[in-house]
Amino acid sequence: MPEEEMNDLDDEASDFEPESDAEEEDVKLPEAKANAIYDRDGIMDKLGDMSWPQDVPWIHRLSVDVDRGQEQEVDVNDDLARELSFYTQALEGTREAYEKLHSMGLPFLRPSDYYAEMVKTDSHMEKVKGRLLAEKRKMEEADERKKAREAKKLAKEVQAQKQKERAKQKKGEIEAVKKWRKQRQQSGFSGGDKDGDLPFDFEDGKTFERTGKKRPGVAPGDRSGGKSRQGGVKGRKGMDKKMKKRETRDSKFGFGGKKGMKKQNTAKTTDDLRGFKQSDTSGNKKRKR
Amino acid sequence: MGKKRKHREAESDTNGSEANKEDAASERPKRTLLGWKEKPKENEDNATPGFRNKEKVLVTCSRRINFRYRHLMLNVVSLLPHCKKDNKVESKETKGATLNELVELRNCSSCLFFECRKHLDLYLWMAKCPNGPSVKFLVNAVHTMEELKLTGNHLKGSRPLLTFSANFSKDAHWMLLKEMLIQIFGIPKGHQKSKPYHDHVFAFSIVDDHIWFRNYQIAVPHNESDKVSRGSLEKMTLVEVGPRFCLNPIKIFGGSFGGPTLYENPFYVSPNQIRALQKKQKTGKYAKKVKAKTRRKMHELSNPLEPDEFADMWKE
Repeated sequence: MPEEEMNDLDDEASDFEPESDAEEEDVKLPEAKANAIYDRDGIMDKLGDMSWPQDVPWIHRLSVDVDRGQEQEVDVNDDLARELSFYTQALEGTREAYEKLHSMGLPFLRPSDYYAEMVKTDSHMEKVKGRLLAEKRKMEEADERKKAREAKKLAKEVQAQKQKERAKQKKGEIEAVKKWRKQRQQSGFSGGDKDGDLPFDFEDGKTFERTGKKRPGVAPGDRSGGKSRQGGVKGRKGMDKKMKKRETRDSKFGFGGKKGMKKQNTAKTTDDLRGFKQSDTSGNKKRKR
Repeated sequence: MGKKRKHREAESDTNGSEANKEDAASERPKRTLLGWKEKPKENEDNATPGFRNKEKVLVTCSRRINFRYRHLMLNVVSLLPHCKKDNKVESKETKGATLNELVELRNCSSCLFFECRKHLDLYLWMAKCPNGPSVKFLVNAVHTMEELKLTGNHLKGSRPLLTFSANFSKDAHWMLLKEMLIQIFGIPKGHQKSKPYHDHVFAFSIVDDHIWFRNYQIAVPHNESDKVSRGSLEKMTLVEVGPRFCLNPIKIFGGSFGGPTLYENPFYVSPNQIRALQKKQKTGKYAKKVKAKTRRKMHELSNPLEPDEFADMWKE
C-alpha cells in the first residue's frame, strides 16, 4: 500500500516539476504557444483603415522616432540602465522636436511668467519640496558627522604635536636664558653688546601678547585666554581668586546635591575647630556653640 | 439627446472659428473611411490642409478597482484633456456590446478601459471605437504621480511630445500599437482645454516585448520668454513627472472590444496561471517531503541494518 501511495505522489511530482520549471517566469515560451495567431495582413489592413493620412502635418502628430544607437542592450531587470535608456530616448526626441518646432517658428517652452493650472497641485509640490530638502539635510548632516569624526582624529594628533612643540619651545627658551645668564656671569656682568642678540631672540615682541586665538564667544577683555569659561579641571590655571574660593568651598561643602546627606561629621572633624574663632561672640550670645 | 445636439452645435461653432486659423476652410472629407460622415466626432480626414483631430477618449474603469489603479486612471484623466471620465461599469458589462454603446452615447472615438480583476491585476483595454482595432494589455509596474520621488510638474493640458523607440517599426503589430498610441495619447491641436506650450514629453519604449511609458517634464534654464537659445539646448534636462506603467500586450482584436483576433502574444502568461503555478509548487513541496519519508522507510525496511556489536554496551 505505501508503494501505491508513493507511485501516485511520484506521478504528481513529476507532472509538476517540468511545468513549474518551464513556466515559472513568464518569458519566452515559444513551444507553449506555437499556434499564436498573428494575422499580419489583417493588422496592416486595420492600420491602413484607422490611421490618419500620410500627409497630415507633423504638428498634429507630434511624434518622434528615436533610434537608440545600441540595439536592445538594455536588460529589463537593470533598473538604472533601463531608466537611463528611456531618459536618453526622451531627450533625443525632445531635441529633434525642438529643432522642428524652432524651424516652424512655434513657441516651444513655457515662459517663466506664464501661470496656469499645473497637473500637480501646489500643495503636492510643497510636499515634494519638503521631502527633497529633508533628504538634502540628511545627507549634509551625515557628511558633517563624518567630517567631524575625521577632524576629531586629526585634531588629537595636531594637538599632541602642538603640545610637543610648545614644550620644546619652552625648554628652548629656558635653556637660552640659562645660557645667557651663564654668559653674563662668565663675562662678569659687563653688560656688553653680546647680550642684545641671543637670549631675547625668542622675544619678537610677542611674549606679552596673547595669541589672537581665543575660543569663540569669549569677551575681548578676557585675559585668561578664554579658558576661564571652560569647565573641567584640566583647563584651570588656578590663578583666579574665584577658582580658589570655589575650590575651598567645594572641598568643604561638597558639590551640592541632596541637602544634608553629603557631609557628615567624622571623628576627626567634630574636634576640628579651625573654622571658628574662639573669641567671636558677635552673634547671639545665648546660642549654644 | 438635446445635450447631444447642443454639443454638436457648439462643436460646429468652434469648427467655424477654428477653421479660420487653418489655411483653407474645412471641406467635406474627400475620402470617407468606413462611413464616418454621419458621425462628426470622428476623425475628419482631409488630404489637403484642414485636418482636424477630433479625437475624444472615454476613460472608465470596472468596479472593485484598486486604489493604486484608480489613482493611475485619474492621472491619465488629468494628462489627457480630450478625455471624458465616466462612471464605473458593472463587471457583467465589461465585454462587447455595452461598452461600445457607452462610448457612442458619450460621443467618443476611442476608449481606455481599466479593468481590475481580483483586486490584483489591472488590464487596460485600448480601443478605437466604432470599428477600429482594440488591444488588451496587462499593466505592470505602476507608479502614480502622487509619489514624492517623481518631482516634475507641467502644465495641465499642454500637448506632449511623443517619442517612440525605433523598434516600433520592426513589426506589424508594433506599428499598429504605435498608431493607436499617437491617436489616443496625443492631444488634438487646438483643443479647447489644451495649453500652448510643449513642456512635457511622453516616452514609449519597447523593452522585452513590453511597452514602457514615462512622462518627463522638459526643464530648460532660460531667461527670456520664448527664445530658447542654442546653448541652453544642451542644458536641457528632463524631470520625471509620472505616472509610470508597463504594458504587456495580450491580444489585438479587429473590432472594438471584440471581433476577430488579429494578434496573440505568444509569451503572455496570465497572472492567474503564474499564481496557480506558484501555489502548486508549494503543494509539491509537501508531497515531496511525504514521499521522501515513505521512501526512506521502505529503504530501511528493505535493507535492515546489521545489529550493532556495541548496542548493548551501555544498556543497564
